[in-house]
Amino acid sequence: MSPTPVEVDRPETDHEHDEEKATDRPWIVLVWNDPINLMSYVSFVFQKVFGYSREKADRLMLDVHHKGRAVVSGGTREKAEMDVFRLHEHGLWATLQQDD
Amino acid sequence: MFLRRKGPVALRRDGDRTTVLLGDDERSMLVDLAEQFRSVLAADADPDLRRLYPAAYADDAERDADYAELVHDDLLRARLDAIESLVESATEPSIDDDQLAAWMQVLNGLRLLLGTRLDVSEEDQFDPEAPDAPSRALIAWLGFLLEEAVESAAVGL
Repeated sequence: MSPTPVEVDRPETDHEHDEEKATDRPWIVLVWNDPINLMSYVSFVFQKVFGYSREKADRLMLDVHHKGRAVVSGGTREKAEMDVFRLHEHGLWATLQQDD
Repeated sequence: MFLRRKGPVALRRDGDRTTVLLGDDERSMLVDLAEQFRSVLAADADPDLRRLYPAAYADDAERDADYAELVHDDLLRARLDAIESLVESATEPSIDDDQLAAWMQVLNGLRLLLGTRLDVSEEDQFDPEAPDAPSRALIAWLGFLLEEAVESAAVGL
């Protein structure tokens, strides 16, 4: 849900504007479980894209597998979107959203 | 009885390269599949490609449309480049890490396309009598190759 804009002359659908009012809430990158990707491959992609250790990557992969999703990174919207793009390049099912 | 784990039989790490242990038949099957994949990607109309272009913003259609417009051609180009690299290196005795990354991208992309087409689920049991058994066996074979590719690539990280 978007915060109420202070400057009423700008349209509420202006995302840049929404973002100015919600900069305190970081963006998170989620990876979702899918029945096709191999567990070893998913862990490898986390290591390659984020530089995570084998242990951390395996833990996140198992979270995705057992809980259906895991938060794998976060930060500004630009960074989160770039992370999602890198994961999409590697065939993972990733989304970004503002943390709540 | 030999309990020791057998070594890789398709892709084996040797120093800074990966030796390709596949036979000629397997290599040409891989090239065939990669070229079919290229046709489907280039036509860009098969709904079963959806898993290769997932939504980035699940709850924001407008932002997601902006994202898709921004990245679609880059994702397509990266996949076509990977296919080109695999096809060019498919007959080589060994491949470097860039080529290995390309192979992995093609193997995984093919699995996503075929798995989506067959509506694969985690609970599926392989039934050799089922009409889609050949396609499922193919997905399993691609997965086996990808597993060995991951093992080799992990050494190169």
